[in-house]
Amino acid sequence: MQKSLKTTLVAAAVGALLATSVSAEEEKVLNVYNWSDYIAEDTIANFEKETGIKVNYDVFDSNEVLEAKLLAGGSGYDIVVPSGSFMERQIQAGIFRKLDKDKLKNYGNLDKTILEGVSLHDPGNEHAIPYMWGTTGFGYNVKKVEEIMPGAPVDSWDLMFNPDVVAKFKDCGVTFLDAPTEALSNVLGYLGRDPNSNEKEDLAAFEEHMLKIRPYIKYFHSSQNINDLANGEICVAMGWSGDMLIARDRADEAEQGVEIAYTIPKEGAVIWFDMMAIPSDAPHPENAHKFLDYIMEPQVVADISNYVFYANANTAATEYVEGEVKEDPGIYPSDEVKAKLFPDLAEDPKFTRQLTRSWTRIKTGQ
Amino acid sequence: MNKNRSMFLISGLAFGFAFLYIPILSLIIFSFNESKLVTVWAGFSTKWYGELLRNEQILDAAWLSIRIAVINACFAVALGTLAGFALARLGRFRGRTLLTGMVTAPLVMPEVITGLSLLLLFVAMQDLIGWPAGRGVTTITIAHITFSMAYVAIIIQSRLSSVDESVEEAALDLGARPAKVFFLITLPIIAPALISGWLLSFTMSLDDLVIASFVSGPGSSTLPMVVFSKVRLGVSPEINALATIIVLLVAVGITIAGITLNRQEKRRQRDMQMAVAANE
Repeated sequence: MQKSLKTTLVAAAVGALLATSVSAEEEKVLNVYNWSDYIAEDTIANFEKETGIKVNYDVFDSNEVLEAKLLAGGSGYDIVVPSGSFMERQIQAGIFRKLDKDKLKNYGNLDKTILEGVSLHDPGNEHAIPYMWGTTGFGYNVKKVEEIMPGAPVDSWDLMFNPDVVAKFKDCGVTFLDAPTEALSNVLGYLGRDPNSNEKEDLAAFEEHMLKIRPYIKYFHSSQNINDLANGEICVAMGWSGDMLIARDRADEAEQGVEIAYTIPKEGAVIWFDMMAIPSDAPHPENAHKFLDYIMEPQVVADISNYVFYANANTAATEYVEGEVKEDPGIYPSDEVKAKLFPDLAEDPKFTRQLTRSWTRIKTGQ
Repeated sequence: MNKNRSMFLISGLAFGFAFLYIPILSLIIFSFNESKLVTVWAGFSTKWYGELLRNEQILDAAWLSIRIAVINACFAVALGTLAGFALARLGRFRGRTLLTGMVTAPLVMPEVITGLSLLLLFVAMQDLIGWPAGRGVTTITIAHITFSMAYVAIIIQSRLSSVDESVEEAALDLGARPAKVFFLITLPIIAPALISGWLLSFTMSLDDLVIASFVSGPGSSTLPMVVFSKVRLGVSPEINALATIIVLLVAVGITIAGITLNRQEKRRQRDMQMAVAANE
């Protein structure tokens, strides 16, 4: 009798323990770490309303900051948004948990072509879903370029990479992104070489070509170009699609007579993906899956695209995307252009070191 | 000759002030700019103040930063005063050189190193003893206290070494216990240093970006972190509006502190004169 009472007590205690541990796991909290200004104004509020999960939403401004947090471990975040090539390395370091696709009922909405591109970073698409994607082309000041060189090749990398052409825009201002891997891929693509080469010979060709156009480059910077283009202080800038479109809108708003356009050059350009992934030590993986599924709902992600002016990777969402965004070839390029885009894959460490040195030589012009 | 020199001095002064304050002035002026571009003037408007009040992300971050700064300043003053007192009053004791070195180290340590080492410490502590659980407001506050306290200690130490020790000795002679002497004699004398130490710690905590971004966690983005992450897309005039408000608050705070300190100083001098007169 007494023994059985003891057993019951123990069983009850174990049961209670189990119950609390389960409910602790289902705590209604989600910690999201995303790029600054990279979500619609009401997305988080709507998600909280729909699921009752409280979201702590923080922002970062560079992949390096995110990577430092992830590598230190125990970051506490449930959803992070690295760019493709950074994620590729992080997956190799075992930072992310594999997605449980049974919990993602909207997974089928994703664009198959994009998923294929992403699988070069993340084999089998096991660890992340594509959030937004864009291209690395160039933005230019329509009037000034036309004035300096009537009939300039504004649909081609010739405008930036052909030494004879770019020389004409020196005084007007030509700028590069301070992003060696993307510059490398674009220039190699322009030279008709493999954009994702790890060969020394290709790197030498890249450096040689860059040094030819170096005298005409005003600066290397990854964010200053937005305001400088909009203010009319520079003419041609290699830039990320979303940034260049922001520059275009700012120029319109300022009404100073500056008109900016963005080109995905006909030779092809880098396509990049920002990915949503769940760290392996995330405290709330269940909620994270719910969030991913929510983001893949067509209307939700379409609202985000309408707000941030980046293309999403959701085929079902395209019908909800505003015409202004959807019909802009800078954001949603035609299938023909899309076929020419190439992802910027992570290089091997040795090549990265050589590239960094080469990039320093290029930037200092020696 | 004399006039020439004063012309030189005045123009030097004017140039110096212009160098310091014209950037702040232009920031304030552009906070009333109609355009979204920070550098192009497009007419007067107060709309960015309205936008700012609706922007919860910035307001939450500002409020969080202020809370951290206040807690940090209080702890830093308490701990820094103890350290400063030990350095100035306890004479030679074993390990004094070590203590001096350790107190001043955070002053010269690059922020990146402080930030990274604290981050590693917090991660290790969480693994070993489970506290602090995750990173957030607590860890940022601890990190800020670590370096603020060093500044306070230096301020207090230099203030104490300029104070005549005989006043304290007199109180001891008259039968006051050391604790009573500390609270009734020493503290009031170094009060101005306490206030400036508090304000300095407050400012440095409000200002810190590097260390905070190392040791922050979910739901603990401070104001500098939010502002800095926004810079990627160009600074919006909301930031100018916020900066204007902060400049205004700081100016008011400094003025009040200045007036109070000034009054105290005058009263102290009057008291001392009266004491001298009474003795004669």
